[in-house]
Amino acid sequence: MNSIIENLKYASTSVQALGVSLGGLIGVFATLGLFFVLIWLANKVSAAKKD
Amino acid sequence: MQDVFIGFTSITWKMLLMYGIGGILIWLAVKKEYEPMLLLPIGFGAILVNLPLSVVWEHEGASGFLKILYDGGIANELFPILIFIAVGAMIDFAPLFKNPMMIFFGAAAQLGIFATMLLATFLGFDLKTAASIGIIGAADGPTAIYVANKFARDYLGPISVAAYSYMSLVPLIQPPVIRALTTRKERTIHMALHESSAPKWLKILFPIVVTMIAGFVSPMSVPLVGSLMFGNLIRESGVLERLSQTAQNELAYLVTLLLGITIGSSMTADKFLNYQTLLILGMGLLAFVFDTAGGVLFAKLVNLFLPKEKKINPMIGACGISAFPMSARVIQKMANEDEKGNIILMQAISANVSGQLGSIIAGGMVLALVPLLVG
Repeated sequence: MNSIIENLKYASTSVQALGVSLGGLIGVFATLGLFFVLIWLANKVSAAKKD
Repeated sequence: MQDVFIGFTSITWKMLLMYGIGGILIWLAVKKEYEPMLLLPIGFGAILVNLPLSVVWEHEGASGFLKILYDGGIANELFPILIFIAVGAMIDFAPLFKNPMMIFFGAAAQLGIFATMLLATFLGFDLKTAASIGIIGAADGPTAIYVANKFARDYLGPISVAAYSYMSLVPLIQPPVIRALTTRKERTIHMALHESSAPKWLKILFPIVVTMIAGFVSPMSVPLVGSLMFGNLIRESGVLERLSQTAQNELAYLVTLLLGITIGSSMTADKFLNYQTLLILGMGLLAFVFDTAGGVLFAKLVNLFLPKEKKINPMIGACGISAFPMSARVIQKMANEDEKGNIILMQAISANVSGQLGSIIAGGMVLALVPLLVG
């Protein structure tokens, strides 16, 4: 990961933007994915309690 | 004698043009009702700050009231944070708890941020400015202000105006993009409604855990996520009804009023009247188009893997932007136009509140990643 960042530091602005875009989109999907797991688990626990 | 008429003698054509721009913003607010709570104060602030001598900003070394408000509310990011507390108190995540899959559209529709950032770098903007322009695509005024204030303070005026103007134009921007990317058959897909109600403990736990997860994954997003979720916790706790109402009403209105006029004060002629402003306004529009396209195309991609009875109406993808609840209403209206009685409002709202989460996480990602590369 550190080597990717080091390489991007010396890349053109557009390549840096591409790196930020990829990292950003992965980060947003991963974070919201964790929120999804949280809600999914909560719904499962809630359903189990009702049963 | 010249000093007596200095108000007249110091008028320039740029000032006159800014009065015109301020007047147009006020006209849009009053006549067209486009985000009137923000565009009206922004328009008036733009006129105020461009009056001769600009006394409202600074005169003879003393700060004027708009500079005091700017330093106390924008430069230190206080106003956007307070707005987030108010917005958090207004959000009901219950529809999302019933349709958790919709959360991924809140991520997909952030495509506009990153695509626009890339485009801005092709047009010659540096990475920090490009990121600030891209954030217009968050369709989220406070996030746009927050990021622009950190990365591109000189462009705060045009970025804020673009963000709020295009948010109010969502009913005009989204439908043609959606129609271009979907068939009528796809737009008439019905979606089953989940009737289960979310338990109270989940509603209380959600803002706390979300803040903590955001803090672990994207620490830079914590001021945004934390204030939004603090407002939501006040709402959902059930024991702070008065605080919740205060956040939703008095706090929201008061800060919006001050935020608008202070943003307007950043629109001085020398900073606003240039080629870059036109580019920013153009790219802001594209950011909203890319957002919509990103959400719709992601829904179509997901549909490739879903059985026929579980397919998603791809219009839902377009609701993954943060313009809440306008986007959800637009999509429900379109669904009803294509097939009377097709109700997808709850799913649309689920995607729409996810967009609020997605936009601030995206803002946090940009704030974290860009300095790693350019300091």
